[in-house]
Amino acid sequence: MAEVHVIGQIMGATGFSESSLFCKWGIHTGAAWKLLSGVREGQTQVDTPQVGDMAYWSHPIDLHFATKGLQGWPRLHLQVWSQDSFGRCQLAGYGFCHVPSSPGTHQLDCPTWRPLGSWREQLARAFVGGGPQLLHGDAIYSGADRYRLHTAAGGTVHLELGLLLRHFDRYGVEC
Amino acid sequence: MNPKEEKVKIITEEFDENDEDAGVGGQKKTSKMARQKRKKPVCGAGDPEMVSENPHLGNQPEPLQEDSDTRPLSMTTRRGPRSLPPIPSASRTGFAEFSMRERMREKLQAARSKAESTLLQEIPTPRPRRLQSPGEKELETEFGAEPGEEAQKTQQEDDSQSRSRVKFRDSVRKIKTKPPVPPGFPSAEEAYNFFTFNFDPEPEESEEKPKAKNRDGTTQEEEEGEEEEPPVQGIHKTDEQLLISATEAEAFLWGLDHAAADFVAVRPADYESAHVRLQMEKELLFVPSRLAVPTYKKLPENVQPRYLEDEGLYIGTRPDVPRTCQNIMENRLLTQEPGRRWFGDDGRIVALPNPIKPFPSRPPVLTQEQDFRAELETLYKKAVKYVHRSQHMIGSGDSPGNFQLDIDISGLIFTHHPCFSREHVLAAKLAQLYDQYLARHQRNKAKFLTDKLQALRNAVQTGLNPEKTHKSLDTTQKTINEYKSEIRQTRKLRDAEQEKDRMLLKTIIKVWKEMKSLREFQRFTNTPLKLVLRKEKVDQKADEEAYEAEIQAEISELLEEHMEEHEQKMEAYRAAYQQWKAWKKAQRAKKKKKKQAVEEHPEEEMGEPYPEEDPVKPVPPEPTDRALMEHQVRERAARSRRRPGEPLLVPELSLAGSVTPNEQCPRVEVLRREDVKRRSIYLKVIFNDKEVSRTDSRPLGADFRVHFGQIFNLQIFNWPESLTLQVYETVGHSGTTLLAQVFLPIPETTIVTGRAPIEEVEFSSNQHVTLDHEGVGSGMPFSFEADGSNQLILMTSGKVSNSVAWAIGENGIPLIPPLSQQNIGFRSALKRADAISSIGTSGLTDLKKLAKWAAESKLDPNDPNNAPLMQLISVATSGESYVPDFFRLEQLQQEFNFVSDEELNRSKRFRLLCLRSQEVPEFRNYKQIPAYDREIMEKVFQDYEKRLRDRNVIETKDHIDPHRAMVAKYLQQVRESVINRFLIAKHHFLLSDLIVEEEVPSISILGLSLFKLAEQKRPLRPRRKGRKKVAAQNLSDGDIKVLVNIIRAYDIPVRKPTASKFQQPSRSSRTFSEKHAASPTTHSPTHSADYPLSQVLVRPFVEVSFQRTICHTTTAEGPNPSWNEELELPFRAPNGDYSTSSLQSVKDDVFINIFDEVLYDVLEDDRERGSGIHTRIERHWLGCVKIPFSTIYFQAKIDGTFKIDIPPVLLGYSKERSMIIERGFDSVRSLSEGSYITLFITMEPQLVPGESVREKELVARYVSLIPFLPDTVSFAGICDLWSTSDQFLDLLAGDEEEHAVLLCNYFLSLGKKAWLVMGSAIPEGPTAYVLTREQSHYLIWNPCSGHFYGQFDTFCPLKSVGCLIGPDNIWFNIQRHDSPLRINFDVTKPKLWKPFFSRSLLYPGLSSVQPEELIYQRTDKAAAAELQDRIEKILKEKIMDWRPRHLTRWNRYCTSALRHFLPLLERSRGEDVEDDHRGELLKQLGDYRFSGFPLHMPYSELKPLIEAVYSTGVHNIDVPNVEFALAVYIHPYPKNVLSVWIYVASLIRNR
Repeated sequence: MAEVHVIGQIMGATGFSESSLFCKWGIHTGAAWKLLSGVREGQTQVDTPQVGDMAYWSHPIDLHFATKGLQGWPRLHLQVWSQDSFGRCQLAGYGFCHVPSSPGTHQLDCPTWRPLGSWREQLARAFVGGGPQLLHGDAIYSGADRYRLHTAAGGTVHLELGLLLRHFDRYGVEC
Repeated sequence: MNPKEEKVKIITEEFDENDEDAGVGGQKKTSKMARQKRKKPVCGAGDPEMVSENPHLGNQPEPLQEDSDTRPLSMTTRRGPRSLPPIPSASRTGFAEFSMRERMREKLQAARSKAESTLLQEIPTPRPRRLQSPGEKELETEFGAEPGEEAQKTQQEDDSQSRSRVKFRDSVRKIKTKPPVPPGFPSAEEAYNFFTFNFDPEPEESEEKPKAKNRDGTTQEEEEGEEEEPPVQGIHKTDEQLLISATEAEAFLWGLDHAAADFVAVRPADYESAHVRLQMEKELLFVPSRLAVPTYKKLPENVQPRYLEDEGLYIGTRPDVPRTCQNIMENRLLTQEPGRRWFGDDGRIVALPNPIKPFPSRPPVLTQEQDFRAELETLYKKAVKYVHRSQHMIGSGDSPGNFQLDIDISGLIFTHHPCFSREHVLAAKLAQLYDQYLARHQRNKAKFLTDKLQALRNAVQTGLNPEKTHKSLDTTQKTINEYKSEIRQTRKLRDAEQEKDRMLLKTIIKVWKEMKSLREFQRFTNTPLKLVLRKEKVDQKADEEAYEAEIQAEISELLEEHMEEHEQKMEAYRAAYQQWKAWKKAQRAKKKKKKQAVEEHPEEEMGEPYPEEDPVKPVPPEPTDRALMEHQVRERAARSRRRPGEPLLVPELSLAGSVTPNEQCPRVEVLRREDVKRRSIYLKVIFNDKEVSRTDSRPLGADFRVHFGQIFNLQIFNWPESLTLQVYETVGHSGTTLLAQVFLPIPETTIVTGRAPIEEVEFSSNQHVTLDHEGVGSGMPFSFEADGSNQLILMTSGKVSNSVAWAIGENGIPLIPPLSQQNIGFRSALKRADAISSIGTSGLTDLKKLAKWAAESKLDPNDPNNAPLMQLISVATSGESYVPDFFRLEQLQQEFNFVSDEELNRSKRFRLLCLRSQEVPEFRNYKQIPAYDREIMEKVFQDYEKRLRDRNVIETKDHIDPHRAMVAKYLQQVRESVINRFLIAKHHFLLSDLIVEEEVPSISILGLSLFKLAEQKRPLRPRRKGRKKVAAQNLSDGDIKVLVNIIRAYDIPVRKPTASKFQQPSRSSRTFSEKHAASPTTHSPTHSADYPLSQVLVRPFVEVSFQRTICHTTTAEGPNPSWNEELELPFRAPNGDYSTSSLQSVKDDVFINIFDEVLYDVLEDDRERGSGIHTRIERHWLGCVKIPFSTIYFQAKIDGTFKIDIPPVLLGYSKERSMIIERGFDSVRSLSEGSYITLFITMEPQLVPGESVREKELVARYVSLIPFLPDTVSFAGICDLWSTSDQFLDLLAGDEEEHAVLLCNYFLSLGKKAWLVMGSAIPEGPTAYVLTREQSHYLIWNPCSGHFYGQFDTFCPLKSVGCLIGPDNIWFNIQRHDSPLRINFDVTKPKLWKPFFSRSLLYPGLSSVQPEELIYQRTDKAAAAELQDRIEKILKEKIMDWRPRHLTRWNRYCTSALRHFLPLLERSRGEDVEDDHRGELLKQLGDYRFSGFPLHMPYSELKPLIEAVYSTGVHNIDVPNVEFALAVYIHPYPKNVLSVWIYVASLIRNR
C-alpha cells in the first residue's frame, strides 16, 4: 500500500564521442509494483549541443507507483542513441541505475556501456555506423551473466530524480 | 633558482647590508648591495647582539667540509650552481662537545631574538662581503677537494671557469682513492646547513635523519638560522674582502651595471670524453665474462659432476635461459660469492623447474565463436533510419531482425476478363468444370464411400451371426445399431456424391456442346480447347447384376429402417394409448366423485380446474409400403447412378484444337484480338499497406494467361500484418487501372522456402466494362441466346498462382521474426507447437493451465520430448502434491509483502488514480484525488460500475421508445470505442503538435504591415477584425461569454385585431409550383388597407436564452424592427472542464426567441385613468432561432440573417407583407417566405476550436424528421463519421452529411437530377446540402430542416459551394465566386467545374457503399399513440413544475380542440392552415383571448422537447385566471421516424 512518486528529469549526457544524442528510457519494476499513473518508458528528443559537450534533454519523468513490497524496487534503464548526419540512429550506450530509495532529490550519474563486438564489427562501426546491440533489452537491467560481454565505455547520463515516499513507515520501513 | 633559495639570499644580503651600514670605513660595495639599498630604506642602528654571536657561530662550518667529502658526487655537483651561502672556513672548535640538537636549539633561540631586533637595528660591526660571487663559489667547491683554509684561499684565486671540472675530477678521485670515511659528529653549523639548504634527501648520518624530515618545511627556524650565517662569514673573510675592495668600490660607483654578470656565469657544458669515462668506470665496475665456465671451477675439488636425470630422478624442465646469460651469471657468482653454493651437483646453476605454465591460467578472451548466453547475445545492426514504432521502445523486449519473406509470383490466369469472347467464357467454364472433374476423380469419394458401405454391411452380417462373436449380446446389439446408423449415413453421402459426379459429367458435356454450336455459329474458333469423351466398355451382365443387388440391398435396409421406426412408433402409440385409457378411467371416476362433492361442497368445485388438457386419443401409425419404397429407390438410382450397361464416359480435355487466324475472322473479333494484344498486366506487392515491389509488365496472352515467374525477397523489419497483391492492367498507352486485390495469407512459421507449395489465389474485380467489340465485358449482362434471355453477368476474375514462404538464412535458420513480435492472432497458429508460446511462461507454473493446454493440443505421450511434461501433468491431475523442479524468481515475495494483492486492489485511492490515468470518461477530469481511502466515497465508483454493468442492458426510462433506447445505447457504444481508439492516437504527437514555428517574416508580410500603417484609423465601413485566440484549457467559469448581437429583423408577423372574428380572408392554398414561380404579384398587399399605418402592429423584442440564462433586448416597434443591441450571456462548461474536447461536446443551444410585447390596460375604472397607468405586459412568442453552441464554438462567429422558425400557426398574428417596400428587396425577398433576423454571435474570448416539390417535399420532410445529432457531439473533437443511409436510418440520428446523403438518394431514386452540395451555410458552418435540378432552375434543400430555396434566394442559408457530388463524379467549384447566388450549376462546363474523374483518371466503376435497398418497417401505431400520451403527460407535469407559485389550470375543451387540429397540421406539413384553423378555434373558444402555437420537432428523446417548450416561455404568464392547453400529436413514419407536434396555448377569458 505504500506509494512512491518518482518525479524528475533526465538532464542530459556527457562524455559521448557522438554528438547528436537521444535517450530511450524505461522503468522496470518487480511484480509487487503497480503503476498508478505516468508513463513507464519514453524517448527524449535528439539534442545536438551547440555549446559545451553536454547534450541536454531535460526529459521529464513522472511516475506514481503503489507497492506491496520492497522487492523489485524500480530500476531505470537507459539506452543512449546517436543520430548521425544521415539521420541514422545507432547505439551509443546502455545504462542502468536503481531509482534511489531515500526520499528527496537525487542527482544520479548513470555511466553507460555498449557491446564491443568483434574487430570486424568495430571496424564496420567506425566506418559505416551501426554496431552491435543487445538482442534482449532486458539484459540491461537483469543480472544475467554479463561477464561474457565485451563492452566499451560510453558516456554518462545525468539524472535528477526526486522521490516522495508514502506509508512506508506503516510497514516498518524507515526512510 | 627556486624561491626559497632566493629568499635565503635576500636575507643574507640584508645582513651584509647591515654590516656595511655599520660602516667600518672603506667597506666593499657590491652592486647587489647597492641595489638592495636602493630598494629598501636603510634600517636603523646596527645590532650589537649579532656581533656578539658571531664568533660563536663562526667556528662551526669546518666539519661540513669533511662531511661533504663523503657525499656522493651528485650532491656536490648540485651544490655548485646553487647559491649556497658560503661556508666559512672557520676553525673548527670543539664540535664534538655539543650535541647537535642542543646547538640547534641555542641557535634558533638566538636567531629568533635577533630577527626581532634586525628590523630595528643595524649591525654595527664591519662585515666582510659575502655572496655567491664566483670567487666564493669556488671556495665552496674547493671544500670538497681540499680541506684546509690555505687551500681554500688558493682556490679562490683560481679561474672560475675551470672550477667545476676540477671539482668533479677531484671528487671522483676521492671516491676512488679514499675509503669511505666513517661518519663523525657533524658540527652544529654543518648540521644546520645541511638541514636548512635544499639538499637531496640522502642523509647519511643517523643523527641527521630526524631533522631531515623538517628540511623541506620552510619554517621560521630556517630563515632565522640563515640570518645568522652571513655575519659569521663576514668575520672570517675580512681579508678577502679587502682584496677586492677596489673593484667593488668601482662597482659601487657604477651602480648596477654589473649586476647581471655577478649572478650569471656562462659555462660550457660539462663533458668528459668517453675514453676517460671508460677509464674511470673500469676502476669502478666489474664486467663478468661471457665465456663458459669450466665445470671444475664450479664444483668442489675432485668432484665429478653428477647428473640426477641420468640416475632416473625427476628434474623439472629448467627455465629457458640463454647460454650467454648463464655464463655471465656463473662468472659473476664465482667472483662475488666464492662459496659455490649456487651450483648444483651437475655443475649448473641451481634452478627450480620452469614456473611458467604451458597454458594461460586466465580465462581466455572470448571470441565470437564461443557460445553466448542467449540473453546476452548481441547483434550487429546497421545504422538505420529511425522508424517510429512503439515496438522499438525499450521494454517491449524484442528487437527487429533481419527477416525475409520470399514471394514467388509465377503467373496469373483470368477466369474472366472483359475481353473474353463468348467462346472464352464457355472455355473458361469448361476448363473449370474439367478441373473440378479431375479433382473429384482423383479423390473418387463415391468409390470410397461405396467400399465403406460394403465393409459396413459385411460387418453387420458378421455381427448378426452370434456364434462368431464372443462378445455379450448386449454389446453386439449396440455395435450393430451403430453400424446401421453409419450405413444409413454413408449411403446418403454416397448417393449425394454419385449424383454430383453425374451432374458434373452432364454439365461438362452440355458446355462442350454449347461451345461446339457457338463455334459453328460464329464460324471461327478462339480457343484451342477440345473435349474428347472416351467410352469404356463394361460387362453389361455383371453390371446389371451389381446394380440390382445394390438396389435390393438398399431396399431391404430401408425396409428394416422403416420397420424399426414403425416399431418405435407403435411403442409410443401403445404407451400413449395406455395413458389415454388411464386418463379416461380417472375422468370417469372423477365425474362420479364430483357429483358427490358438489352435493357436499358446492363452492369447491369452482376453484378446481383440470390441470391438463384432455389427451387426444392416439392414432396407430401406418405400416410402410414396400412397393412405394422400391419405386423411390429406383428413381433415385436412375437419377444419380449410371444405368447398367451404359458405357463409362471419361472426358479428356486437350488444347489440341486450332485457333482461326485473324484474316478469317469477322471485324469485331479482330478488334477484340487487337484489344487483347494492347493489354498488359503487372502486379504490385503490397506489404503492410506499403508497396514494396512490382512485377514487370507482361502482355496479356491470347489465352488470357500471364506468366511472371518472379520471386521477390522481402527483407522485412516489422511483423507482417498484411500481404496483398494488386493486379493492374494497362491498356495501350493510357493509364493503368487497378483490377483487383489479392490478399495472400502470411505463411506459418513452418513454411520455408522450397517447401511452400504453389497456391492459386482467386481474385475478382467489381469493375464494370463495356466494350465495343466481341469482348463480353465485365459486370455487364450478356446472353448466349439469340433472344437475349438467360442473361449472365460475369465479373473480371482470375487466379494468381504464387507461393509465399519464409526464407532460409545462410546457416539454414529460417528468417522468421521471433514470436514476441507476433500478435495474438498469429499465436494461435503456433499454439500447438509450443507450450510456452501458447500459455506464456507464467503458465508453466500454473499446472491447471498446463494440463488444459496439454489436453487441447493432444500431445503425443510417447514422444520422449514430452515425457517430463506428461509426468508433470499426470501428477498434477491426480491431485498429489508436487515439488516443482523449477526455480521461481521472487520466491520470497510473499513473505516480504506489506499487504496482500486483494488489499492493494481494494484501495479506492489507487483505483481512482488508475482510472484517471486510463482516462476513463467518468474520472478523466478529476484534478485531485484524496490522499486517504477513507476520504473517498464509495459512490464515486457507482456510476462507473453501473455503466460497466449496464453495458448491455437497454434502459427505456429516458427514452420511452424502445427503438430509440436501443439506438442510444448503440451510439454510446460506438462512441466509446471510437473514443478509446482515439485516446490512443491522441498521445501520438506530430512535430507540428509540439512545435509552433513562427513564420520568418518575408518581404510580402513586411509590405503588408507597411500598408497597414497607412490604413485609416477609423474607416468608414468598419470590418470586424480577427481576435487573438485563447487556448481553452486555462479558462474557468465566467471567463467565457457568448455575445449575441441582435441587429434587426424583417417581416415579423403582426397582430391581428381580435375583432376580426368573423373576417375570414380565405386564401386559396397555392400549389407547389406556384410557390417558387418568383412572381411578386402574388404577394400584393392585401391586408394593409385594413390597418392604419400609425397603429403599432407589433412590438417585438428578442430574448436570448442559453443554459437557462435569459437576456432580452429592448422592445422595438413594427414588423421590421432594428435593435442593434449586444447581449452577453455567461457560459459554463459542463463539470467546469474547459478542455477542447469537453467544449466540443457541449450540447446546449442558444435560443433566440422573438416575442411580441403586448400591453393591456388593466385599469377597470375609467376614473383612475387620469392619475395612474396600470398596464399588464404580456408577451407572445412569435418564433425562434436555435443555434447550437457547438456551431458557435467551431465557427468562432456567426454573422448573417436567419430565418425565424415561426410556427405555422400563430394565433392572433399574421404576416404583413405590405411593409416590405424598403430597399427594393421585395422582388427577391418575396421568393422566400417567413421572417428573418440578422444576428452576430461570437464568443469572448475567442476560443481555439478543436477541429461540422410535392413528392420531394414529402421526402425532404421525412429526412428532416430524423433527429440531428452532430458528430462533434458524438465524437467530440475526434473525427467526422459518415454512415451509410441504412445505418443512418437504423440509428435515427446523424448530422448534415447523413441527412443530405439520404435525401439525395431519395431524389435520385425518384429520377431527379440531384447532387450533394458540400459547402458552408449559416448557422451550421461546413455542411452538406442537396441540390436538385428542376426544368429551368435549381433548388437548394436543407436536409436537416426540409426547407428548400431557389438558387437566387437571398436568404438561402447556404453561403458557399465547394463541390458537388453526383452519383458518378465529383465536381469542384473553380468559379470566381462560391455564393450559390452567383454561380452556375452547370457541371458540364469544364471551366466552371473541375471533375474528379476526368479523362486522365477514368471513372473505375466503383460500386456504392450504400446498400442496394433500404428496408422499412412499419412503425407501430399503438406504440406511437402510447408515446404521445406519455409525452403529453410529462410535458404537462413539467409546465406545472415550472410554475411553482401558481395554479395551473388546463382547459380541456381547448386541449381537445388542439388535439384535433394537430393531425391536420401534420397532413399539410404545417402550411396554409392558419386561417382555417383560427376560424375554427375562434368559433369554439370565442370568448377567450389566447396565444399559442404548435411546435414541431423530430423525435429523438424527451429532453429536447421539454427544452423547446421551456424556451417558449409559455409558462411565464402569471395572469391569475390564465388557463393552459397542451396537445401532443405524434405521427409515425416508417422506420420509426416520428414527427412530434406540440401545441401549447394559454387562454385568458375575455370579460
